[in-house]
Amino acid sequence: MKRICLVCQNVDCKNRGSEEIMKEIQQRATDKGLDDWEVKPYMCFGACQEGPNVVLYPEKSWYAGVKKGDVADIANHMGGGPDVKRLDTIDSSLKELIYQLLDTGVF
Amino acid sequence: MEGILFPRGVAEGREGLDAYRARGGYQALDKALKQLFPREVLQEIDASGLRGRGGAGFPTGKKWAFTADTPETPRYIILNGGEDEPGSKKDRVLMESVPHLILEGIILAAYAVGASKAYLYINAAYKDAIESMEQALAEAKKLGYVGERISGKDFGLEVLFAPAPHEYVAGEDTAVIEVIEGKKPLPRQKPPFPATAGLYGKPTAVNNVETLANVAPIILRGSEWYRGIGTAESPGTMVFSLDDQVNRPGVYELPFGTPLRYLIEDCGGGTRDGKKIKAVLPGGPSSAFLTGDQLDVALDHNSVRAAGSSIGCGVIGIFTEGRCIVEETLKIAEFFAAESCGQCPACRMETNTLAMLLKKIQQGQGSAPMLEQFGKVIAFNKGKGFCSLINMPGPPIESAVKLFRSDFEAHLAGKCPGN
Repeated sequence: MKRICLVCQNVDCKNRGSEEIMKEIQQRATDKGLDDWEVKPYMCFGACQEGPNVVLYPEKSWYAGVKKGDVADIANHMGGGPDVKRLDTIDSSLKELIYQLLDTGVF
Repeated sequence: MEGILFPRGVAEGREGLDAYRARGGYQALDKALKQLFPREVLQEIDASGLRGRGGAGFPTGKKWAFTADTPETPRYIILNGGEDEPGSKKDRVLMESVPHLILEGIILAAYAVGASKAYLYINAAYKDAIESMEQALAEAKKLGYVGERISGKDFGLEVLFAPAPHEYVAGEDTAVIEVIEGKKPLPRQKPPFPATAGLYGKPTAVNNVETLANVAPIILRGSEWYRGIGTAESPGTMVFSLDDQVNRPGVYELPFGTPLRYLIEDCGGGTRDGKKIKAVLPGGPSSAFLTGDQLDVALDHNSVRAAGSSIGCGVIGIFTEGRCIVEETLKIAEFFAAESCGQCPACRMETNTLAMLLKKIQQGQGSAPMLEQFGKVIAFNKGKGFCSLINMPGPPIESAVKLFRSDFEAHLAGKCPGN
């Protein structure tokens, strides 16, 4: 099964540059030859004030407030590098809700 | 039966000033201005138990008391005729049919709360309703019921029109206020409630059209008479909207407590396709489904709540055998996702996620664990928005999954049970 990098493309995240971030992650994934990853838009994780939000699944890593400068570290994680702890700021109850949803295959 | 709002319980064309006066029109206003202090008018409405007809069922007397008791002036009355609930046509029909009854209610409301200005906020698509109210206003002005020093009293009222955008959320009371202030229809965070800080920050009573139409009859005939109609906690009548799923669609005024079956069979003439009823939404798309076995429920706030649903603004949705409840529920979820104004993140996430889950299930891409997610998403977001829209998709969706699980299971297996 492909691993998935979901990048929120709803209004708040978009206003903060999530379109650019999604393109950048895609580019890095291609450059690194991460063929087992699919980079996909998502409609809303419910953490709009903390966006742009990026969720790696099935890793269940949630990166919030992602800036272009963070993309290299995220792509590094996708390629087997360490997770990006500084971007892991989301409340655990919201994480649990969203991860359960993703577990059902909603993406 | 004899109606309170429609003399014969159904609309029969526009009632002109003479016909209205012939059945006691403007006598309530004359009585109030001659014999009653504003506080006594308010107390009479409070004693009548009148509840708002826009959906929430909040006691009108309480709303008015909060407005009247806020010392700031000027105070405002707003007639909320935004009416964008799918299937609802009662406010439109009331404005087109009995404009003077509504106008007299507005003037009495203004007198009761000490308001000097009233706005008639009417769905801009309702041309006939606007024209009807304009005509009534012109006639009332000629009689001296609108303007300065009404009936020689130290009470004046200016009445203005405000077009309502054709959007669901534009009927929410704080969104109504935003629109009249010239802004977009975005609900405000509450509190403060409009009664204390509403239009231009001043005390404002925002009342539904049908609610205000009940005011003059109560003042004229008394709260005790009013309480003799309907039930103890839902006094009076309600105007129900029936769509073309029945043989005689339209609006029907019935006392609260009338069985749902009477409305559908006797008033509506039964289902158009002649099929057995599978499900009913008794209070529009934000109410929980009832099953076809619950048609004997009495249509009043308490009875419908005890049956697991809500009466809302009286829009009855009927689904006969052969209709798929997954398809119907998806339409509702997509409606709320589209109508969410988007300013509250939780509402945006919730309405979109619910619609997405249902879409997956409807398309045969669902999984059994998906059925367990609805309740979790709804519970997580409950009450997290500025307005109540965030709480609206919950009842229909959760009741659909609970009561019509076999329809969902059929979709999980890749087959729609509808035909």
